[in-house]
Amino acid sequence: MIEQVQQKVRELLEAGTIQGFLGLREQNGHIGPYLFQDPEDLEGMSLGDRERPGDTRYPLSKLLLTLARNYPQASLGILVRGCDERAVNALVAWNQLDQDKVVPVGLACPQELAEECECERPYPEDPVAGKKTEPVAFASVARLQELEPSERMRYWLREFDKCVKCYGCRDICPVCFCRECSLEDQHLIRTHNLPPENPVFHLTRAVHMAGRCIDCGLCEQACPAEIPLRILYKKVGQIMEEEFSYHSGETTQKSPLQIADNQ
Amino acid sequence: MTNSIGDIEEADCILITGSNTTSSHPLIADRVYRAKENGARVIVADPRRIHIAHIADVHVQQRLGTDVALLNGIMHVILEQGWQDQEFIAQRCEGFQALRDTVKQYPPSTVEEITGVPAQDIERIAEIYARAEAASILYCMGITQHTTGVDNVKSLANLAMLTGNLGRPGTGVNPLRGQNNVQGACDMGGLPNVFSGYQQVANSDANNKFASAWQADLPDKPGLTIPDMMAGLEDGSVQGLFVLGENPVMSDPDADHVGKALQKARFLAVQDIFLTETAQMAHVVLPGVSFAEKDGTFTNTERRVMRVRQAVDPVGDARQDWEIIQQLSNRLGYPLDYSSPQEIMQEIAGLTPSYGGITYDRLEGHGLQWPCPDSEHPGTKILHQERIARGLGLFHAVEYQPPAESVDEKYPYWLTTGRIYTHYHTGSMTRNSPTLEREAPEGWMEIHPQEAQKLGVSTNDRVRIVSRRGSVEAAAFVTEDINPGTVFISFHFAESNANILTNPATDPVAKIPEYKVCAVSLEKAA
Amino acid sequence: MEYKNILTTCTYCGCGCNFYLENLDGSLTGTIPCKTSPVNEGKLCIKGWNAHEFVQSDQRLTSPLIRREGKLVPVSWEEALDYTASELSSIRSEHGPDSLAFLASAKATNEENFLFQKFVRAGVGTNNIDHCARL
Repeated sequence: MIEQVQQKVRELLEAGTIQGFLGLREQNGHIGPYLFQDPEDLEGMSLGDRERPGDTRYPLSKLLLTLARNYPQASLGILVRGCDERAVNALVAWNQLDQDKVVPVGLACPQELAEECECERPYPEDPVAGKKTEPVAFASVARLQELEPSERMRYWLREFDKCVKCYGCRDICPVCFCRECSLEDQHLIRTHNLPPENPVFHLTRAVHMAGRCIDCGLCEQACPAEIPLRILYKKVGQIMEEEFSYHSGETTQKSPLQIADNQ
Repeated sequence: MTNSIGDIEEADCILITGSNTTSSHPLIADRVYRAKENGARVIVADPRRIHIAHIADVHVQQRLGTDVALLNGIMHVILEQGWQDQEFIAQRCEGFQALRDTVKQYPPSTVEEITGVPAQDIERIAEIYARAEAASILYCMGITQHTTGVDNVKSLANLAMLTGNLGRPGTGVNPLRGQNNVQGACDMGGLPNVFSGYQQVANSDANNKFASAWQADLPDKPGLTIPDMMAGLEDGSVQGLFVLGENPVMSDPDADHVGKALQKARFLAVQDIFLTETAQMAHVVLPGVSFAEKDGTFTNTERRVMRVRQAVDPVGDARQDWEIIQQLSNRLGYPLDYSSPQEIMQEIAGLTPSYGGITYDRLEGHGLQWPCPDSEHPGTKILHQERIARGLGLFHAVEYQPPAESVDEKYPYWLTTGRIYTHYHTGSMTRNSPTLEREAPEGWMEIHPQEAQKLGVSTNDRVRIVSRRGSVEAAAFVTEDINPGTVFISFHFAESNANILTNPATDPVAKIPEYKVCAVSLEKAA
Repeated sequence: MEYKNILTTCTYCGCGCNFYLENLDGSLTGTIPCKTSPVNEGKLCIKGWNAHEFVQSDQRLTSPLIRREGKLVPVSWEEALDYTASELSSIRSEHGPDSLAFLASAKATNEENFLFQKFVRAGVGTNNIDHCARL
């Protein structure tokens, strides 16, 4: 599978179509994000499967955004699973990336990973490697939905109360691109001690995920308090679906919340 | 730590004491959260209702400096109920009878009077801890920074040995080391009495070994500890001080006094990355480099040696710290000629048995936990597995001693100090980090609503805090998370430096100052 | 465009989390937690996430300084090292090596601390070395 990706990236680099390819590489006994600029480096490429499929997923589209902001003219390739492709699409929809400058090289996830992520779209549009597998329904929202509202509120207050205010959910998020962040507004959320003001800190972020969250689950994996953030944002995504029939990142179409653009 | 960070998840009971875990060691708090999710019971014994106490099955707020009494009370209940691990005691420990005699004097009712912890909570803690399959103790500076710091640690070790909670997954006596490489600095002989690997300078075999490796005569009399150095500066027996990457003017107790001692130095050299409060007093300042600009290794709290890799060129004319040391040594007539930190590690491995199997190649991936005596050894996740390192685990019968300083009419409040989640130590790094500084730009004094009302202060009002050594001003933060009669401030802020107030009285053995307890008076500032 | 991610170990508390420092064209632009670290497993605290920020602060010391007429002024490395060595030497020859004291560092690497105690013990000739293990 990796040979197909390596081959594709080699062609793109050698043809000069892209100035670099953002992917993963094994170094120092770990798999981490790497910008391939020299085809010779492709030897060490990894697809992010170490002990289990996809256990070294990184927010590559977020790193791409850093590069694109500094080099707006450069064309860059990027390794995309289904979630990464949705992130790139969302960043295009929100005017953060220029679609013409991004060359995705797609990788479909194996069923095992799709199950683990409860992923409704475990593949990019046009995978170079891997086979498109069955989508998996997200059961956790439904399970929580069964609770009485007051019980559900208690559940979330207890979860949010564990927060150590690392901002990792935001910092790892491929679609958190704001240069100023409401979470740091001290008039909205008081600062200085733990936990952060409950529930306003987490609900502020949840509201901001509407029309953006592409359900990659990296926030939950990065949470040092083990808060099931994905369920929360997934619920936000469901509301967007019910109210507007909008799936963030499925296409580069603008979100219904980008009101000015829709008018 | 006797055990490892990942190992905490395997505990059925976690006793956290003197550690504000979510603020000071958040990635260890994560393991506590996971253990709790798996059904572990969490006990928190801390004078404040700290954040991690929110998930505790039992949380008790003992009075400052009463830890030995509390722990003796817990052991009293365990012995009375027969919950001790008799087999472990018989086969792997000694000194049990003396411990039994001592803790007999600490029934819960007596302990309640000393600590303020209800007797029934003491009984519950004893039951949960002693009856767990695997119980882990996590502690930090709230245990050690006392004039009875060593006694406190011995009492925790007593509790673990009494119940056989040592040498197995999910157990142990686990100090959470506060600084990234405090473990390594100790391992490497940054102490007055030992070479690397805790080999005594006064032991003639060790001394000869190093003398022959280094081709130099080596002094065999242990040197001065920091408090003795400060005293030496004052009485003139110490004339010159060289400080590598520390900020004692901010970090040592009774800071005004430390400042005065440093002023007496005929020569003060500081090697650092910022112009710290200490560097501002120096005769010469040598700019070293930050962690991101150097190669080397750090050893974390679970004894894991891990690589530090240079990620960026040094700023300006800043120079590699190992090169600065080498260039000074050359000028003092003791030539050193290393070409890289890797070459220094080869020498460390050759002279330090616990690091014997450590090479940079082997540190790729997950690093190695010492002891790692040879190149085949996989490292050590859990200490004291087959046998306790000293042979038999020694119970220490320890009596409760009150703190060095007590409240009185003039200084009626107890003061304790600690970290907050966004800052680190004297703030030289975090306060120069815009994101972290924005999160908490000033220090607060936590005070209970009852006391705040008596003083007529509300949150954000300025309060003057006065101890026998000095005074500072800070904004009040009114909270029920602290006992009435006790106040807390963090020690990160030069503008309200906690260590102007703290008591320099030290533990007689470890020489650790009593940062966690002193007496203060409070008044609303104009 | 030169973009590298360098795996290293955090400089703050004793957890010892592993992360990548992002270097774009010679400047640090961010921190990415290492997913396969045995310590932090892809997570960090607020200090870790911002560990790159202070490195290139404009408050960093960029040149050796010597006190002249009460003020610290920039000097060359040669001058600073010569001055330091001569002050240490003269105190040692007048009052003996035990009239000098040295603070090692819980922030410095193992290699630096090892070298420092070697310098103090073998090069200066005293065991007056300690560090803030107790803080």
